[in-house]
Parts: sequence; structure tokens; C-alpha cells
Amino acid sequence: MLMLYRKLIAASLRSQMQYKMNFITSAATTGMIMVLDFVILSAILHRFNDVAGWNIYEVGMLYGISSASVSLYRLFAPEVNDFEKYVVHGEFDQMLIRPVSPLLLLLTRNLDLSRIGGIVQGVAVLVLSLAGLAREGADLLWLIVFSPIAILSGGVIYFSMALSSAALSFWTHQMRDILTFTIYAPANASNYPISLYPGWLKWLFFTALPIAYMNYLPMLALLGKGGGWYYPLLAPVAAATALFLALTFWKIGIRHYHSTGS
Amino acid sequence: MIEAVHIGKSFYLSPEKKGRFASVRTLFSREQREVKAVDDISFSVGEGEFVGYIGPNGAGKSTTIKMLSGILHPSRGEIRIGGYSPQKDRIQVASRIGVVFGQRTQLWWDLPVKDSFEILQAMYKIDSRTYRRSMELYQELLDMREFLDTPVRKLSLGQRMRADLAAALLHDPPVLFLDEPTIGLDVVAKTSIRAFLKEVNETQKKTILLTTHDMDDIEQLCKRIIVINHGKKMMDTTLDDMRRQIGLPSLIQVEYRQPPSLGAELAGIERLELSGNVLSVHFDKGKISSPRILAEVAGWGEPLDIQMKEPGIEEIIRLMYR
Repeated sequence: MLMLYRKLIAASLRSQMQYKMNFITSAATTGMIMVLDFVILSAILHRFNDVAGWNIYEVGMLYGISSASVSLYRLFAPEVNDFEKYVVHGEFDQMLIRPVSPLLLLLTRNLDLSRIGGIVQGVAVLVLSLAGLAREGADLLWLIVFSPIAILSGGVIYFSMALSSAALSFWTHQMRDILTFTIYAPANASNYPISLYPGWLKWLFFTALPIAYMNYLPMLALLGKGGGWYYPLLAPVAAATALFLALTFWKIGIRHYHSTGS
Repeated sequence: MIEAVHIGKSFYLSPEKKGRFASVRTLFSREQREVKAVDDISFSVGEGEFVGYIGPNGAGKSTTIKMLSGILHPSRGEIRIGGYSPQKDRIQVASRIGVVFGQRTQLWWDLPVKDSFEILQAMYKIDSRTYRRSMELYQELLDMREFLDTPVRKLSLGQRMRADLAAALLHDPPVLFLDEPTIGLDVVAKTSIRAFLKEVNETQKKTILLTTHDMDDIEQLCKRIIVINHGKKMMDTTLDDMRRQIGLPSLIQVEYRQPPSLGAELAGIERLELSGNVLSVHFDKGKISSPRILAEVAGWGEPLDIQMKEPGIEEIIRLMYR
């Protein structure tokens, strides 16, 4: 399984390299957008200095985890994000005639290497925030231990939400509108403390779009803002649950795949 | 080998919404229209049979092949491929079938042909001895040596089709589904593909189900024909039997310099139509050969241009209703 994954990924990367210019320009633009994004956020934070009782370094922890997570998902699953074309053009056909999981074939179609920039940026924000928290005299041990777990769990949570949206496109044949609700909006929302949002939105972020579990809840406990000691553990648990549900929904969706004429 | 029992596939179309959040509104739309792409079709194909699955555009040919190969789930009915259900045991079936879609390659577009074969070897867990043997055989039969190192996107259509066929056979599946494998090819390429398919069917006893629009494919390859139209099975018979029922209608059109003086009618010619200087000869290919007709009509005047028209599937279907 792992060997096949590596072989297929290698093949996709070799294909990508055939279009070198394209690859370089897309990496450069993604990097620039990410930097701009970060500059804007820091400008906002310096202006207000405090968001719902979270200072700049604490928000930086939320932002770093969310940003690295979403980039991790987009690095490994660009084709899930772009699944609409497989349904509309019937390209999903050829993934269903192989004796391996269609999801494996989909994921190995492409790696979006330009997203590595986003991961680096997210981790850089985390490091800066940790340094800031250290100056304030916070205990860093558990924050450092938890950060990679949070990024991984967050990546899986984003992937699960995207996979569910992709599965939905077996019925709707469109997913761009859906991704606005299920990926882009939550990714922005999770840069800030969830307590900021109105009740129904909060409820959504704890259930259908479970982004609260990857950074907000754990940070409540780890930054001493109240909440149980077990909150950080909820991140991997929520990720596993979301992944299980998404895979189940994906399998149901495949049964409704329509393909295209001839 | 292939069993289809009362299979059907319905699509539900809801009118597409336009504007904001169109997808969400389409999803919750209640207006739906049922379209039966395949409607209660049953057939059974034995080991080593070569079956032509024909019908006009939109008759449900591709939908059937997609259900048999596990891409689509039938709305009704049961399918068995070598005893396995393509839906419940998709992976078991996938390793026992080879699929070729003429319109779309299964190969890795930007990579050399050879790389695709190596990837497929890993995917189907083909041991290296079998792999080497298959590669040698198909390189020989399909004459692939000259383009093994060429990226797929640079192949001609004929070369691509040969590579696709080899790729579908690499894991030595007992069953082959071929959806329009000769579409768009020139006569030379068609001939070599047909010779290859015949060889594979006869020496390796592969069970083959073929859809095509080319009556020559059917005549030269298939002993048995299943005709479908509007999603329903219309005929399941041998090629000889179909010949007896509707003949093999062909048409020769001759344009003369001056209006021709028609000679005596030949046996096998069904109908002569003359409009101006153009003569249309409708005849049955099974009863009289085209060279004999050409020899005859050449004497009726001074021909400027001669065109031959083979019957399309649509023509066959029309004759069946006659």
C-alpha cells in the first residue's frame, strides 16, 4: 500500500515536472498570497492587541495551527479540493476499475508542493508566538509537545470536511459553493477564538465543521484559560471521528456516481 | 463468465438552478425526472465468447459496460463477473477484468508508455516473471517497441490504442470490456487492432464484450451480437442469423458524366435509384460483391466519381423495425 502510494506519487510529480514553469509560478504566487495574509493579520492584531481576551501570542497559536493544518491538507489532497472535475467529466471512471481504493488513486494524482510555503509560514507563526509566550513566563513544554499533534489532527479534520464535500458532489455535481462553507470559511474562522462567534455558529464549529477541537479547545486548557485537562486529547479523537464519518459518507456517495455519457 | 440479470440504471435529472448557491438549491430541489438509461436487460456470456454489444448513440451501451466493470451501481438487477459482483466485490472483479475506453486513455498522460506499465505492475501485484512474459508478448503482437519510451501525450491515436490494449491485458484478466476501441482510427490501425483482438480471443480464450459503431468490427470479430436501443435489449443472436434476417445492406453511389443507360439488373441488387447523373445502387453485401457491381456499373456510362457507403448501426436498427 505504502509502496504503491510512493510509486504513484513519484509518477505524478514526474508528470508535474514536465511543466516546470507552471510549477514555479504557482509556488511563487501561493507563497506571496500567504505572506500577504500574515501581514494583514499581524496588522489587525497590533491595532487591537487583544481579541476576546486572547493576546497576540495566544491568537498566534490558534492562527499557526490552523494555517499549518489547512496547508497540510492542501499539500496532500489537492485533488479532493478539486474533485468536481472528476465527477463532471467522468474522470472518476478510471479510478473505479483498479483493484485498489479509488481514494488512494485520487490522492496520488497530485501533490500541491506550493503549499509547503503555507506550512512553513504556519510553523513560523507558532515559533514566534511560543517565543512571545515564553517572555511572558508561560510554561512551553506542553504547548511544544501538543503543536505537531494539533497540526496533524487539524489536517485530518480539514481533509474530512473536504472529503465529505467531495462526496456531496456525487449528488450535486458541484462543490465550489460547498467548499466556501466547509473549508474556506472555517479556515478563516479558526484563526480566532471560537468564543467570538454567535451561538449557532459556535455549535456548528463543535459538530458538523469540527474546527474547534484542533486549536481552540486545546489552547483553552494549555494556556490556562479554563476547561478540562483532557481538552488537548479531544483533537486526535475528533479528527479520527470526523475521518471515519467522512469515509463512510464517501463510500455511500460512490454508489451514486453517475459518470458521463459514452 | 458474464451474467447480467434484469439490470437497469435510472438517472434522475433535476433542472439545474442558476445563480447564487446553485449547487445547494439543486440538491434540495424536488422536481426530478427519471431517465432509464438501461431498462431491464439480461444476458449471459460464456468463457471465450466474443460478443458485439451494439446500438445507436445514447442506447445505453456505455452505461451497461460501466455497470459490468463496477464503475456504476445498477438501480435494479444483479451482475456477476466470474461469480463476483462488481459492486459488492469491486476489487475482486477489477483484478479479473481489463477495460478499454476508446475515448479516454487509462495511461499516465505525461509519462513514457513504459512507466504506465510499471505502475500497473505494482497496482495489480503482477510478479516480475509474468510481467516480463506479458510485456514481450504484447510488444511483439502490438508492435510497441518503437514508442515505449515516448510520453503518452505524444503518441498517435493508433499507438495510444495499442498501448491501452496492452495495459488492459497486462494482468492477464479473463474478461475484456472494450468500449469503442477503434473509434477515430485509420484503416491500417483498425486492421491491426482487429487482428490483435482476434488473436487474443482465439489463443488465450479471453471473453470479450465489444461496443462499436463500425459494422466491420462486428463482421470480422463477433460471432454473437446483442443489439440494444433506448436502454432495452432488442436482439441477441449470431452474426449469421442477423445476416439472414436483415442482410448486410450496402450502398454504392456513382456519378456519371452523362445520364447513364441502365443495363440488366443483377441478382443481389435490391434497388436502383437514379437522380440526374447520380446512380445509387442498394445491394446486399452477403449476396453480391462490390467489385462485381463496380465492373457492371462502369459499363453503363462514363463514371466520374464512385463512393461506397457501409451501413451504420442506425441503419441496421432501422431495418430491424421494418
